[in-house]
Amino acid sequence: MRWVRLVPAFTSVGAHFDREVLSALDKAGVSADLVLTHVEREDSVAVTAVSARITSGLAPGTEIDPPVEGRCARFPGQSILTGVHHVAEIVEATAIDEVVGIGAAVTPDTRVDTGGFVRPEYRDGLLVLLVEPAAGGVFQPAEVEQPHECCAGSH
Amino acid sequence: MSHHHHDGHEHHHHEVEPVEGSWQDPADDRPIAVARRRFLAGLGVAVGGAALASAGAGEAAATPLPTNRWGTPQRWYAGDHHIHTQYSGDGQYTVSQQVAKAREHGLDWMVITDHGGVAHQKFSLDQVTPDIEKARRSNRDVLVYQGLEWNIPGAEHATVFLPPDRHTVDILRAFEAGYDGGILSTAVANGGKGLITRSTSADGEPYALAALRYLESQVLSGRTEIALMFANHPSRRGVDSPHELRGWRDAAPGVAVGMEGAPGHQAAGISKASGGRGGARGYYDSSPGVDSHPGYAPSATENPYRTYGGFDWMTAKVGGLWDSMLAEGRPWWITSTSDVHQVFNDTLTPGPQDYDKTGSKGAPVDSGVKQTGFGDFFPGFYSRTVVGSRSRSYVDVMRGLQAGKVIAVHGRLIDGLDLRVRALGEGDNQGVTLGGRTFVKRGGSVEVTVEVTGAGGPNFAGVVPRLAKLDLIAGPVTGPVTDRDTLSAPGTTVVKSFEVTKNRSRFTYVFKDVPGPFYLRVRGSDGRKLTSDGGPVMDVIADSDPWSDLWFYANPVFVDVI
Ligand SMILES: [Zn+2]
Ligand SMILES: [Zn+2]
Repeated sequence: MRWVRLVPAFTSVGAHFDREVLSALDKAGVSADLVLTHVEREDSVAVTAVSARITSGLAPGTEIDPPVEGRCARFPGQSILTGVHHVAEIVEATAIDEVVGIGAAVTPDTRVDTGGFVRPEYRDGLLVLLVEPAAGGVFQPAEVEQPHECCAGSH
Repeated sequence: MSHHHHDGHEHHHHEVEPVEGSWQDPADDRPIAVARRRFLAGLGVAVGGAALASAGAGEAAATPLPTNRWGTPQRWYAGDHHIHTQYSGDGQYTVSQQVAKAREHGLDWMVITDHGGVAHQKFSLDQVTPDIEKARRSNRDVLVYQGLEWNIPGAEHATVFLPPDRHTVDILRAFEAGYDGGILSTAVANGGKGLITRSTSADGEPYALAALRYLESQVLSGRTEIALMFANHPSRRGVDSPHELRGWRDAAPGVAVGMEGAPGHQAAGISKASGGRGGARGYYDSSPGVDSHPGYAPSATENPYRTYGGFDWMTAKVGGLWDSMLAEGRPWWITSTSDVHQVFNDTLTPGPQDYDKTGSKGAPVDSGVKQTGFGDFFPGFYSRTVVGSRSRSYVDVMRGLQAGKVIAVHGRLIDGLDLRVRALGEGDNQGVTLGGRTFVKRGGSVEVTVEVTGAGGPNFAGVVPRLAKLDLIAGPVTGPVTDRDTLSAPGTTVVKSFEVTKNRSRFTYVFKDVPGPFYLRVRGSDGRKLTSDGGPVMDVIADSDPWSDLWFYANPVFVDVI
């Protein structure tokens, strides 16, 4: 398997960006089991780059070494996470290696309300999902699909 | 924004020239001699201010001059510097409705701050101005300032406001046209300037500094007595990086004086089970984005993108970003506001008017149904910024804010706070209060007395809150940081927590053998939601009742050593 790097023409971080990137890969007939986003700040204006681990298909972009870190928009087992899942199930049934609670420890029995949107962090080949206490005695991922947009998102 | 500056490239951005039309007003017909005199006088003040900021780091050579002397006659005035109306695309209320609510809730002053942007600059400004003037005439007991919620280029929003004067509107208009991040990032074809990539992208940073210098120049040239800027909801999207906060303060020390210690939208976290929106307190539910500062990283121990006891992470974290600025000796004050757009359980909804074409939503429409999905409180209902001022005048209240004589209070947790910090033995024995600067001989003692008065009646939830504890927080002043993105002050700690049992209490603490300059500050809590070490708890999204987790934060006092 090889990794490629792409820099889409538009830039952001979040669910909307992920959808565009993932559907572009699908349309190109490329299979990628890990897709990461990275904010690159080399120039005065930050851009979002994407790296993808290609399993089949002729991928666009330039070939790169496996990345060290990133925000993971696609990973094996992701589609299983549709609702409320125990930490044990998340770790067993998906490529996520570890679930970490923010300010409160989680156990294998801790329930996580994923809302069908899960974006773990990729760190040195491991996928780590940060979760935080949520309403109703469950936890939820620290990144939510639709954060509140101020002034109706006009800026 | 996130752009790194710690590798010595601080000045690699080209200087931004003032944008056309933004500098001098042709209508400025004051005799040149007067203008010039005031300019020079103003310059003296500014130079002094800047010197103070850097000298605050170490020890003054001569006997320092205390600021904010304790015992100086003053009164306290409650207010709110962040209020939206129908002249924001996401607002709805008329100016007169907001003023009436502020008055009903006991506020003495308020600032109208509709969002900057193309439609606002073109259409809203000329509509809000007469509304504000009318509201002033019919509500003589509330100071109604005209301001703007500025999209800081490269960063978050900020309140910018001026006292009423003949040039106020001209200055605001030129400022917005020249420096609003929304306008700068909007394409020319759409009525903007097309000069920066995004409102929050780092290519906007030099414009923010130029903008603040422009405001300061308006003060120095005598076109306005004073102008102030407070950074709003600073941690919400992680786009106010530490070097930007420091840069703003340094660019215009008389103008850029602080930030919201607590954001508005405090009702947004009320659970659905309790009939609320079930959102995040303060609408703080974001995570790192493309323009976020990489140092703001959620981890196992904290999430900078959340509120803590209703307060912004920068302020709520002991030894955090706010403390890191105070530990430099840098005056930087905190406030708390409503950011009211749409009020929880109100039946009014936005008018139907096309905001982009008219700059107004029109009159609000009464839906007849309580809007449980709205996340805000009316001005004065929950959040107050209480300011010490020698008189109830537009300029004096702003001077109090500028001087840091400010307490941020939630839910009427306290009705009064008298802080006195003074040297015992050689030094300044009269001492100073909030936002002040005093001095002591090296090795001497500094006495802190806090007299706190609890709520003398119910808050607007109908409950008499009870102050349960007071934290005295202090840390050494170690001078300017070399890494401008520094966001922690490891030497700052809670030195003493006082249990509060009476409605009126007096506490004393003495710092002995003071080895060097330091600062201290006070905060208090109703004690209902505390971490094991007595700090505020991270607010849980969709389950944060603002009334059962009340805090106040007071601004610091700096102690120099001679
Ligand atoms: Zn705002
Ligand atoms: Zn606002």
